[in-house]
Amino acid sequence: MISPLIVALISIGYFALLFAVAYYADAQRKVGRSLINNPYIYSLSLAVYCTSWTYYGSVGRAATSGLDFLPIYLGPTLIAFTWWFLLRKMVRVSKEQNIVSIADFISSRYDRSPWIGALVTLIAVLGIMPYIALQLKAVARTFDLLVSPTTVSEVGLQNLFPTLPTYVDTAFMMALILSLFGVLFGARHLDASERHEGLVAAIAFESIVKLVAFVTVGLFVTFGLFDGFGDIFSRFSQQFPERLSLFRLDTAAIPYTKWFTLTFASMMAIMFLPRQFHIMIIENADERHIKDAMWRFPAYIFLINLFVIPIALGGLLLNGGDTSQADYFVINLPLAAGHHWLALLVFIGGFSASAGMVMVSSVTLSTMILNHLVMPLILRLKVDIRDFSAILINLKRFGIIGVVFLGYLYYRVIGDSYALVNMGLISFMAAAQFAPAVIGGLYWKRANKKAAMAGLSLGFILWFYTLLVPSFVLSGWMESSILDQGPFGIDLLRPLQLFGLAGFDIWTNALFWTMFFNLGAFLFLSFFCKQKTTEQEQARHFVDVYGEHLIPEQRRRISKAPTIMEFVELMSKFIGEKPANAAISSYLSGQEINSRGSLADHEIPALKGFTERTLAGYVGSAPAKIIIDNYLSTRGSEMEDVFDIFGTVTLSRTASREQLSVLYEAAKIVSRSSDLDKTLHGLLKLLMQQFKFDLCVIRFLDEQSMTLAVKAQMGMTSKHFGESERNLDMETYIGAAFLSNTASVVNDTEYLDKPESSQIIHREKIKSFAHAPIVVEGEPVGVLSAFSRTSKGIFTDEFVALFNNLARQVGIAWRNHQQLIELLNAREQERDLQIAKTIQMSLLPTGIPEFSNVDLAGLCVPAHQVGGDYYDFIRRSNGTLDLVIGDVSGHSIGSALIMAETRTFIQAMRQIEQPYAMLDALNRFFCEDLSRAELFVTMFYLQYNPESGRLLYANAGHNNPVLWRSQSRVYEMLDGDGMILGIKPDIDFEQRETRLEEDDILVLYTDGVTEAENVDGQFFGEARLQSLIEEYRQLPAKELIDQILEQIRLFTGNRHFNDDISLVVMKVIHQNPRISATQTEPDN
Amino acid sequence: MKTPNTTSTREAWILCLILGIIMLNFPFLQIFNTDRSIFGIPILIFYFFIGWPISILVIILFVNRLQQEEDDKDESRDEEKP
Repeated sequence: MISPLIVALISIGYFALLFAVAYYADAQRKVGRSLINNPYIYSLSLAVYCTSWTYYGSVGRAATSGLDFLPIYLGPTLIAFTWWFLLRKMVRVSKEQNIVSIADFISSRYDRSPWIGALVTLIAVLGIMPYIALQLKAVARTFDLLVSPTTVSEVGLQNLFPTLPTYVDTAFMMALILSLFGVLFGARHLDASERHEGLVAAIAFESIVKLVAFVTVGLFVTFGLFDGFGDIFSRFSQQFPERLSLFRLDTAAIPYTKWFTLTFASMMAIMFLPRQFHIMIIENADERHIKDAMWRFPAYIFLINLFVIPIALGGLLLNGGDTSQADYFVINLPLAAGHHWLALLVFIGGFSASAGMVMVSSVTLSTMILNHLVMPLILRLKVDIRDFSAILINLKRFGIIGVVFLGYLYYRVIGDSYALVNMGLISFMAAAQFAPAVIGGLYWKRANKKAAMAGLSLGFILWFYTLLVPSFVLSGWMESSILDQGPFGIDLLRPLQLFGLAGFDIWTNALFWTMFFNLGAFLFLSFFCKQKTTEQEQARHFVDVYGEHLIPEQRRRISKAPTIMEFVELMSKFIGEKPANAAISSYLSGQEINSRGSLADHEIPALKGFTERTLAGYVGSAPAKIIIDNYLSTRGSEMEDVFDIFGTVTLSRTASREQLSVLYEAAKIVSRSSDLDKTLHGLLKLLMQQFKFDLCVIRFLDEQSMTLAVKAQMGMTSKHFGESERNLDMETYIGAAFLSNTASVVNDTEYLDKPESSQIIHREKIKSFAHAPIVVEGEPVGVLSAFSRTSKGIFTDEFVALFNNLARQVGIAWRNHQQLIELLNAREQERDLQIAKTIQMSLLPTGIPEFSNVDLAGLCVPAHQVGGDYYDFIRRSNGTLDLVIGDVSGHSIGSALIMAETRTFIQAMRQIEQPYAMLDALNRFFCEDLSRAELFVTMFYLQYNPESGRLLYANAGHNNPVLWRSQSRVYEMLDGDGMILGIKPDIDFEQRETRLEEDDILVLYTDGVTEAENVDGQFFGEARLQSLIEEYRQLPAKELIDQILEQIRLFTGNRHFNDDISLVVMKVIHQNPRISATQTEPDN
Repeated sequence: MKTPNTTSTREAWILCLILGIIMLNFPFLQIFNTDRSIFGIPILIFYFFIGWPISILVIILFVNRLQQEEDDKDESRDEEKP
């Protein structure tokens, strides 16, 4: 007997050492020197496979039934042959998909189904429960053996501390300690991708300890207590000749079928036990480590098994053939020999084996529970929590403790009724249930969600029935009649001879029936069920993981896409702010960012993918998908296919022939006719014919009343609701479809949550309906609706996708129609302008009146858009010359007509002699017309007497003409008070007077001249005009105008002007203008 | 990328796996399922504990072969680079 204090102290010292190893590994990782990125550590950590079952149970098995402990280790050696492709592929897929557990792996493969994730988690938790119970039992038992070998009871602790309540036995304490270990090593903080370097380092260390301890005790027994292998065997044969069957197969205890079953189960277990999956795949730092592990791990298990038989035989020899304590020969032999320290080493080794298994299992199971049971529930219930990351870590800690205590519960229930090995095998069989879904999913693209779900469910049910139920019966927890007579006396349903299959052991029976149904359902449904597009995409990601990037990503965009910051906020909510920022910055460093600091449209889906993968690293892929989808849908964002230049819809490859033909037909209808009504009618007809709806309606937004007004409808007669317009609010399904820009679908009108709609729907006996927004360039413009009176549940996901696509086709038709209207409008306007231009040009004077001492010229250059420029010369009978320049506002036929009228008026009213009187008369005559037409006219009116040189002028708000005084070489700007014509009927026009001298130049112009604009936005201005006049004053009037025009063109840098340009130049010349003209010609 | 080399390696691995499964099951095991012994050790146990290291040796040989292939590939890739 060893003092409990010493055992406790040594154990605590060992805990501390383990923790130091883990802490060191974590610290090394932080400085970038990963300890576990090393093939030796990887191979050693795989030895978490060897638990106390190996450590104690193998010996017990070898002593009682013989060689059937061996398949558990031969299986992994065999399957190691496949690791270079099978395991490596699993690792590759998991890295690419950011997978964190086996439940995550399977659910990811099958369309990220949360149901599959939950089912796998359930199987794993229930399956591992006996296995954890086994560890607790072993550690507790050996502890009791150490401290009080005489009383081999479960309550050794109670002997020491009688004050403890009865339920606090050694196993309870161990459960407490091991779960704390799990929390300490596996859930100190949230880790990306569930990597726990410290944990792995501790596991690897423990693997060394347990191997050393076991080999030491093996050497001690073989060579210390006996004289080598041969000696043990020969002494055993002599002493127990009747037990030589222990070295044989095909015996009553180990028929070949059982041998095969155990080999197969262990092959599956090493791959698919959650803790093996975690250590081998999730914690794998480098695929190349697999190569080394392929032989190092088998070598490890070979070594640890080498002394199993010698210890078992030695134990039997020394205990006189008593097998009742065979499970504990490993620790009993050194104790009996008085080697207490060796026994302590064995205890530590056994503790290592148990602790390693419980830690990894509880951490992985807790992750699975959190990701696949708790998170989906939280997300489904839409619990609003600001910061998930803190809650996640605590939930995880609770999960770890919960899992360990579930194992404890099983231990209390089953207790001593099962040997260690048998408890472990139940778990192996559970792990084997994952094999079809995982292996099939990796190598067979057609393996689908329904198949996996059915296979797993059936496998699980049969596993429960053929293995767990018997274990409950054996412990007396259930009626034993179930085993003997079958439930309710039905003989065929006896769990151990299911469906009358008798003559096999419990394991073969269980393996056969679980695999029969699991694999059978998996294969059958995979053959006969179709996959969805998303599911196929995931399937390709798994099966073709080495050939990635061969399939071009479909170009998609997200409407109303969240910004980068919004994605970061979403991530921080779940994983904490720091990791979120770190993740996004490492992602963005590889991306092109445009000038606005955001990503291009087509990059957003990639960012969405990244966010999803990052979240998946923390919460698993199925919850990550739910999180992202929920988030996007609450925003009203939507993944949509990118339209190609032909305006047809990019459909997924998998759209059925029928769907494609409908869409093709729709596209044909849209492109065939430019008449919107005809097109919409055609589309509705297609919809009605193809899908037998009772009513289809197309409504467009009426922007004036802000209602959805019916544009086209087909089916039911006019008194029905297809006729009416709909208000734009969230109270109706149609309003919701429009406002949220997503289809609203009701597959069963029994369940409606919008009372406003339900009344009318029920009155019309509608069974199901859908509204899809008609979207043009991301904005909804209307709604396409379809109603059925005959069937519920028409609107499957596939059909809604098709329906949405049809709505987009309606959108294309609508857009085409809008463009056509715009084009027609533009043409109309153009024709209008052409008429106006013709009128304007026809009104300008065709000839120039000749005066002996006046050189006169005028020009109007119409701009692209017609203005209302106008000028005129009027020669009066008394020999005077009237000059008019005016500008009518507006650019339409209306302004042109006003101008025509003005001209007619002036021409007709020649009897009015004074300029001011002419303006006054014009104003009185036009004021009412002008103000009604919302037009106005500016005008400058001059009257020149060539004889006297007297110039009278009056202004109605027009630009001031320039008068160049040749003698004084100064400019004068002619002006007079007066308002624009058409403002009010009574205006006083001031008339002024001046006298022109020889060579004086008068330039009249419209604002097109001074407001001509260059590229810098500067105006041509009066100053430039004045200096031009001075510079070219020698030129005849006509040429002066040409010069000015040329200079304006040079200034604007454009052949075309924005506004009309009109210029009138009058030069006072000597008696004979021709001489003056010829004189200046050489200068030109 | 799958090259003919890796495909043939994969086939070799599967062959070994099948061979292993055959050699560890009925009826092959029946050969050793007798009362004879070698060096005082029952022949079946002797078979397991000799066959096991041999199979591990086979894996080592294969892994080395794999390593060589990979090195060759790396070299040829390095040559391609410039």
